[in-house]
Amino acid sequence: MPRQSLLTIAAAWACYAFLIAPSLIVIPMSFNNSSELIFPPTTFSLRLYREFVGGADWMSATRQSFLVASLTTAVSVAVGIPAAYALARADFPGRRLLGMVLLAPMLVPTIAVALGLYLYFSSLGLSGSTLALVLGHSILTVPFVMVIAMASLRHIDANLEVAAKVMGAGQMTVFRRVVLPLLAPAAVAGALFAFLISFDEVVVAWFVSGIGTATLPVKMYSAIHWEVSPVLPVVSTLLTGLSLVVCTAGAALQKKDRADG
Amino acid sequence: MRSRHVALFLAPSLLLMAAVFLVPLGQMAATSVDGAALSARAYEELAASTLFRRVLANTFEISLGSMLATLLLGYPIAYHLSRVPPARRAIYMVMVLLPFWTSILVKSFAFTVILGEQGIVNSLLRFAFGPTAALPLLFNRTGAIVGMVHYLLPFMVFPILVSLLAQGSDLHKAARVMGAGRTRIFLRVTLPLSLPGVLAGCVMTLVLSLGSFVTPELLGGRKDLMMANLVDFYTRVSLDWGVSSAIAVILLVLTGMLIVALARLPGEHKLI
Repeated sequence: MPRQSLLTIAAAWACYAFLIAPSLIVIPMSFNNSSELIFPPTTFSLRLYREFVGGADWMSATRQSFLVASLTTAVSVAVGIPAAYALARADFPGRRLLGMVLLAPMLVPTIAVALGLYLYFSSLGLSGSTLALVLGHSILTVPFVMVIAMASLRHIDANLEVAAKVMGAGQMTVFRRVVLPLLAPAAVAGALFAFLISFDEVVVAWFVSGIGTATLPVKMYSAIHWEVSPVLPVVSTLLTGLSLVVCTAGAALQKKDRADG
Repeated sequence: MRSRHVALFLAPSLLLMAAVFLVPLGQMAATSVDGAALSARAYEELAASTLFRRVLANTFEISLGSMLATLLLGYPIAYHLSRVPPARRAIYMVMVLLPFWTSILVKSFAFTVILGEQGIVNSLLRFAFGPTAALPLLFNRTGAIVGMVHYLLPFMVFPILVSLLAQGSDLHKAARVMGAGRTRIFLRVTLPLSLPGVLAGCVMTLVLSLGSFVTPELLGGRKDLMMANLVDFYTRVSLDWGVSSAIAVILLVLTGMLIVALARLPGEHKLI
């Protein structure tokens, strides 16, 4: 492998610095002792964290985000794993087209999905409900769960399923007793990413949520847009921490999965 | 697998996609033509609107500008990643993946602190060049593009990295044996062979930036709207759902055409 010139290394490092700087500067800011949003902070304390925990509207938005993200995760795993299994193992006419329809929400502009859902849930009388948020987020997360599960299924030996069938197991037993245990790491990784996507999602939530059902990103969006609240660095730090945990755990699970399979 | 089981495994996902994705998009398309009335009113209004024409131009200018800037920053990253040993690559990769998984709101907020009037960049500029050296970096096109580039970079880095890693080192060795210098190898071997990845990355970033909403709203100029911001404006402020649906349909068609073009690209850079 040829060595790189100093110039290309310097250019790459400048780009890395640009990539991680925003995630890093919010952390010291969150320990600032004054309500002014300045970097670097001059004195440190947990004052802004207390303000965040004490703020009733921030707390209710956080609880709502946990609720929506948990339900979305449950729906997307329950729906996405069987679908990924069928698409990976069965051969039937229209399989490619079907796969494309199921993955389409990854590529369609979120604003179009958000407006469609806004009109749809309004006409159903569901706008502003938690159900609308969960359903809206699920269509964004199911494709991720499916992609991760399908990648894992490629490494799982299909002969194991054939063997189980030869020994007399029905299709449902094979799915429950053979496929699901082998898919568990991928399912957990998919669940983690689904949770994170839903927890961070803002465009659909902005269009679909109501006054009582605003999620943390919706509250944060209006706080950045109109009020510039002093607790923003705290929320940012907590969200960055969540991303870091999910990203590391998900990557570790997928790597272990590859190594085992 | 029997078809009965295939249907059983696929049914929940198809039901969800039909009821919460296809039907809502269909309803949006129907709203844009006023339902059964099949009126072109919304589209005619948009065609005659100078605001819409300006927003369309903004959208393409900001998206193409962001795409080019993303390519300029993304290529060195991908090149560097492709040349480090795999064990070290995983560590560098975290620096690309963490922003990918970080909330767009966290990034946008951080950029308001970095680029603002009293922000980090301007404080450094004042410190270095005196009190009048500040630059307008936020709430204008610069702010929007900086934020977009940050958001888009991973989508550019991954396809280019794939096409760089697929090249194998024999080709470079051969070129070196034949007497080619480092620059020549890059220009005549590495770069041309990575073009499919570059193209895939460009189309992907263009698709994403055309529909972006949060970044131009929070970092861009208050009057420098993009299409997604106009959708929000017509939905919430003007309450003209016909027009907002028509804009979303136009956006959908534009990105759809780009995705079809991407799917027809040669090579292994297919998304699906």
